[in-house]
Amino acid sequence: MELPDTYYSKDEYVETASGNKVSRHTVLCGSQNIVLNGKVIVQSGAIIRGDLANVRAGRYCVISKDSVIRPPYKQFSKGIAFFPMHIGDHVFIGEGAVVSAATIGSCVYIGKNAIIGRRCTLKDCCVIEDGAVLPPETTVSSYMRYTKKGTIEGGQGNPYFVPAAMQEEMINYTKSFYEHFVRTPAPAS
Amino acid sequence: MSFMQPSPVKYACSCGVLNPINKLFFCRHCPKLRCGLCVCHEIESHFCSNCLENIPSTEARHRKNCCANCFECPCCQHTLSARATTVPVVRKTEEPKDTKEGESVGGAAAAPAAPASSKPSAVPTTKKMYYLSCLSCRWTTRDVGIPDQGVATGTWPDNECLYQARFNTLVEYFQAVVLQDKQEKMDFLRRKAPKQPKFPSLTDRTGLTVSMIRRQIGWTEKTLPKPRPVITPAEATSEVEELPAEIFTEPLNLRNVTTIAQRHSQPAEQPTSVSKLYPQRRSLWIKRSLRCRQCEHNLIKPEYHPTSIKYRIQLFASCHVPEVVMVRCEQPLVAGKSNAILLKFTNPTMYDMTISLLTDAPSEEGEFNAENQGPKEEQDTATPVIKGVNLARQNSTREVTREVKDISNAPIVPLESEFVLSQRDDSKEFDEYVQLPTEEPKFIVWRKGNKVLIRLQFTPSEELSPNTDVVLGFFMQYTYVNTVTNASEKKEPTTHALHSRVFITAGTTEQKAN
Repeated sequence: MELPDTYYSKDEYVETASGNKVSRHTVLCGSQNIVLNGKVIVQSGAIIRGDLANVRAGRYCVISKDSVIRPPYKQFSKGIAFFPMHIGDHVFIGEGAVVSAATIGSCVYIGKNAIIGRRCTLKDCCVIEDGAVLPPETTVSSYMRYTKKGTIEGGQGNPYFVPAAMQEEMINYTKSFYEHFVRTPAPAS
Repeated sequence: MSFMQPSPVKYACSCGVLNPINKLFFCRHCPKLRCGLCVCHEIESHFCSNCLENIPSTEARHRKNCCANCFECPCCQHTLSARATTVPVVRKTEEPKDTKEGESVGGAAAAPAAPASSKPSAVPTTKKMYYLSCLSCRWTTRDVGIPDQGVATGTWPDNECLYQARFNTLVEYFQAVVLQDKQEKMDFLRRKAPKQPKFPSLTDRTGLTVSMIRRQIGWTEKTLPKPRPVITPAEATSEVEELPAEIFTEPLNLRNVTTIAQRHSQPAEQPTSVSKLYPQRRSLWIKRSLRCRQCEHNLIKPEYHPTSIKYRIQLFASCHVPEVVMVRCEQPLVAGKSNAILLKFTNPTMYDMTISLLTDAPSEEGEFNAENQGPKEEQDTATPVIKGVNLARQNSTREVTREVKDISNAPIVPLESEFVLSQRDDSKEFDEYVQLPTEEPKFIVWRKGNKVLIRLQFTPSEELSPNTDVVLGFFMQYTYVNTVTNASEKKEPTTHALHSRVFITAGTTEQKAN
């Protein structure tokens, strides 16, 4: 199914020179610590906590509405420390997801309302189902699907859980999402 | 509208099952579509999905397909993580005292200087001890009284089950039986077909046999059968232990009783109470390679390393077969009323394709099948001895072809002519797009690079009741340029006219407007 066009108003979104499209209705704390590497869409209601630690997102990432990106912390005997968070290229983060992963690889799909616990590692080409809850320090390796039930399924070459061509699919999907995320045409007058 | 949702466009695989294009593969040698059901799944490599360590198959078998370092929670089957604590120890005493516990979470935590312990005369030092804890359900190894370990991984003891000794003797016995069977079979075959030695043997002329020479030298007889381990058969008993009295008197606390899943995760003991739960070793995962059952060529061969996402061989259908994407339906679907659907065709190959949409199957189908299956069957039946020995790969050349059920309920209006999809060119993406004034058939809405948007007329059939899915079906015939050929003398790429059956769920019918 071809993605339908999503329109945004010119007043709501800021477009940077590198092609990032960031809504004004977002909470970007510590914006000097947030690096978006180009063609990243941050939709309204999203929260990125750059004040806690650095957040880097690769190219063609989609951070959907009402999602929260929060760098992970680790508890030490003398207190806690926050760690920087790296997000790869072509990562889709669904609506209402709360992400505290340590690293997210490239071509990762995170479903709606998923909770990624602190210091999780999501390898390249994995899928987190809608509404899945990952306990802290979980590793989801490549071509694995973390289900809503809390099980891990799939593996590379298993065509039933994660498509074998996940890399190409995610690249196509995030690119077409970016291309179909267009400004509302000015009313003809 | 995410891509994780089921796709409305389905392709019929050569085995007759409908699949979206991302679950299909394309065998270049056959050349046909293949799905997960009609290919051979083979284990490419073993790895642990938690520590991402690659484990060779022999070692994996030796470790019973479990990871040596990672453990699973016996309660919720989530991975356990090691937690460090510092415990003060008095030097030159063996037992660490659990009196004071500086809790420090995380393996790399800096150990704080512990306060002076109860004995002021001894020099107080701290020692790092580890326990396993589940971050999902908060179960720890301390809950069941497993002592903390000095090293984070590797020293956790395996719990020996009650029947381990018995099980081991049984395994040993049956391994000996299998070995002997094999030996006898080999001997039988050797006697049946005497091997002609390359060089004349001295023993043949002198009348000395190998066993005689061995006896003269003083060696033992070669074919001395190894004594089999003695096993005692299991005995059934009619006397069953009485139920303990507490079961009738004590109130049952369901919190202390294990669930079925918890019992099954420890198949050796199957504990009934939660106090007997023990961390289980995490089972390994595999990377699969898929192989076409007919021509035995690989369709997918992943890279060996667990963290790699690349393939050494990748024959995805989406890289060879024109992709059909449903863009939208022009009007609401009403039974019996003519409608149009917009479809986007994409050419993923490096060669131009000519596509035509047909309502009936092209005729050359039958001939193709016969030619392909003939020699394969022959090969399979020949040399039965070798086949019996070589159990490693049992490829079935039989192909179960189901009849593709025609589920379409909306006849299409065939296009007036075929159309050409130009080759894929990744550099075109960055070029300035110029619309060239070309003569295009009427049904083409637009064309850009290797993509074409067409309008296809169809009519949902009259008898469709409201709220039923409207399904369009057609045969898509396309030219495919194959760069690999089975015949070695032909080097130039060959062009095939292939077709696949495509079904599109356009949507549900609406109530007829009055």
